[in-house]
Amino acid sequence: MKNILPKSVLVGIGNAGVSVLDRIAVEHPSIKETLVINNEGESLSASVTSRRIAFPPCQDGDLSEGFLAIEEEFIAAIHGAPAVIFCGALGGELGSFLIPALAARAKADGITTLASVAVPFSFEGRQKREMAAAALRKLHDLCDGVALIDNDRLAGGVPSTAAVGEAFVAADRALQSSLLALRGMLSTSGPVKITRADLAASLGIPGAMTHFGHGMAKGANRLHEAIEEMLKSPLLTIAGKGSALKEAATVLLLLSGPSDLSFAEVQRSVVEIERVAGERCLVKVGVLADGSPDDPLEIYLLAGSGGSSRKTTTPAVTKSATQMTHSSPKSAEELPPAKPQATLGEAREAKSKKSSSAQQTQGVLNLETYQRGRFDKSEPTIVEGEDLDIPTFLRKGIKLVSPFRH
Amino acid sequence: MAREQIFVGLEIGTTKICVIVAEGRHDGTINILGVGETPSRGVRKGEIVDLATVSDCVREALLDAEDKTNVEIGNVWVAITGSHLRSFNNRGSFILPEDREEIVDEDLQTVEINAKEVALPSANSFLHTIIQSYHVDGNENILSPVGMAGSRLEADFHIIHGVKTRIQNTLRCIESLKLGIEDVVLSSLASALVVLTQQQKDLGALVIDMGGGTTDYLIYLDGAVRHSGVLALGGDHITNDISIGLRLPIARAEVLKIQEGSAADPDQVEGGIITLKNDPGFHGCEIDRKALNTIIHHRVREIFELIRNDIEAGHDGMLSMLGAGVMITGGCARLRDIAPLAEEIFDLPVQLTRAKEVGGSTQTFENPQFSTAIGLTKYAMAVSDNQPEESLLQRFAQGLGGLFKRRS
Repeated sequence: MKNILPKSVLVGIGNAGVSVLDRIAVEHPSIKETLVINNEGESLSASVTSRRIAFPPCQDGDLSEGFLAIEEEFIAAIHGAPAVIFCGALGGELGSFLIPALAARAKADGITTLASVAVPFSFEGRQKREMAAAALRKLHDLCDGVALIDNDRLAGGVPSTAAVGEAFVAADRALQSSLLALRGMLSTSGPVKITRADLAASLGIPGAMTHFGHGMAKGANRLHEAIEEMLKSPLLTIAGKGSALKEAATVLLLLSGPSDLSFAEVQRSVVEIERVAGERCLVKVGVLADGSPDDPLEIYLLAGSGGSSRKTTTPAVTKSATQMTHSSPKSAEELPPAKPQATLGEAREAKSKKSSSAQQTQGVLNLETYQRGRFDKSEPTIVEGEDLDIPTFLRKGIKLVSPFRH
Repeated sequence: MAREQIFVGLEIGTTKICVIVAEGRHDGTINILGVGETPSRGVRKGEIVDLATVSDCVREALLDAEDKTNVEIGNVWVAITGSHLRSFNNRGSFILPEDREEIVDEDLQTVEINAKEVALPSANSFLHTIIQSYHVDGNENILSPVGMAGSRLEADFHIIHGVKTRIQNTLRCIESLKLGIEDVVLSSLASALVVLTQQQKDLGALVIDMGGGTTDYLIYLDGAVRHSGVLALGGDHITNDISIGLRLPIARAEVLKIQEGSAADPDQVEGGIITLKNDPGFHGCEIDRKALNTIIHHRVREIFELIRNDIEAGHDGMLSMLGAGVMITGGCARLRDIAPLAEEIFDLPVQLTRAKEVGGSTQTFENPQFSTAIGLTKYAMAVSDNQPEESLLQRFAQGLGGLFKRRS
């Protein structure tokens, strides 16, 4: 079996990952460097991707056993690849555990590691979203860049009358497009390219919101039509605020497709994006014009905004398979995100130490009651967490001279 | 050319409900025929909390207006406010078909539709899509692109949206009185129409309409609306603060605010004692003037600071571009020393203003409390002049998703 893959490997994890890579296999047969991993046999056997790894069932829900079982096969599959791009949905047991775990393993081999992941819709439940958030924090620490597809934002592009299934199809489509965008950006070369540093700068900020758009068109007006379609993406708008690009410091733009893509079109695309995002926004453009002139022009846009602070160090990751850990949803929250590579033993030790040495401290309940007067039963006016119905002088702690009663 | 037509503006405010009956004149000005007014009950922070009570109050105000003007009211233009209203600017674009170079009317509608293709919260609906400027093939700030040659038309819009059900409550209240609704207009937009001159809109101005339950604000710059917002804070909060701080009944606190209150920095003005006399059920007391002014000053300062911060967060540097400064209107504009405080916060010249270019009942248009209701009639006249009735109906359907139907 051929183990060395010269291009970036796309790795789909779980049902969502398998579904996305199956679509890619059908719609982009030239992309052969794919691998899917799932714990559902039916999904795997129906998959049309070239390489599949079955994640074994684990006793007591300890997924680290399964990880150890597939580790070697995974390493063999990505061996020699310059980059690995993971794809899947966070929030489920498998995706939330395995994507960070495999990302850490790939990173340990010095491979550029990116991820395109979806977080659940709100209606899927708080527990799922919390699990996804914990996994996402780990991914941000481990990966060079994370493209986050927030399904709730995507829902803005789906009619409210649409069937639930349509919402999930839209989520899969967005995941697929963002995966292709990352792959395309990594594949750019020559003078107009997007570097790994560009990707890291734009998508490597923990807690950042990812803005993503994709447009495709053919014909004489292809550039404008593709941009127009791209800008209508629900992931390029922020509910109630308009275009998300206004908040992005850097925008990554990939023009991919026909070999006759002209310099003027590239230049025009940058001008169009600057027009929307504002002049302060830095537009980094990459071109991948290796298709035939009849191919449609595809434009992908990725940008990040918000987030805490740019990470400065990548946690050291060792190669030992036994150093991977499986975090249940609860422990994912408890463990500090900077140490996702802690050994199972260390994690257990830390857990027992925590429970034995944890000192319960009683918090002070704030019994000071603020008066809201006539607004007592009204919907409160909350701005930046402050209840503005409470008199300003009370909130500011200003002392007043009491009235003198006759 | 303006037609002689009667327009009725209805503002359901937190402290009062007022109905302005005005006549559009041929010269483009409006003449106020009369005003119906009644104290408001069942409204909190600009929003209806007791539909039946508010309906009764509105009926009272309408009858009052009909009595004073001898006009039978059938349709009204309604002001809307509330903390649920949000706004943003967005650009719509449209590439003309290759076989056509001339921009036509339909293209303007297309760019507007494109600009509205944004993900609003599912419970929200568009209230206004206000044009700022058109751009043709990169040629910026075109006022009227129809007939021009071009390949790409773009347009910037100021878009205002709000929670559909909350808007519906106002409409239901009016419909329960078997009245027709011509349109729903953002309060600050209506106020700005009458308190600003065209020159001030071009130079740039911030209009703050400080009412009882809400403070609405809106920025005009280069003749177009650039920013708007609503804070669910107003004169009622000042009264409530006084009532709590000085342990006075609400009614007493309201009178004290109007008669003695000042927004001036309490450390900068003279103190003293205010004596409140005995009344049935109320034991008189002596109030420290400094305490009263401290309460008012900090509340008003906070409101202005929130407005300033909101504008700066959305449009850094825009405040310094407002050549005409700040215009304060609404009931709270009558609060003493409010202008110097606003000048300090916004670092701009401040005017206390009221409806302009209006004829008729002097007492009405000189009172800043009526700016919104008068503005509604001016808005009505502007819309009626510029659009045929059919397109107005279409706008209703598009703008509010068929929230209401016009009375037949």
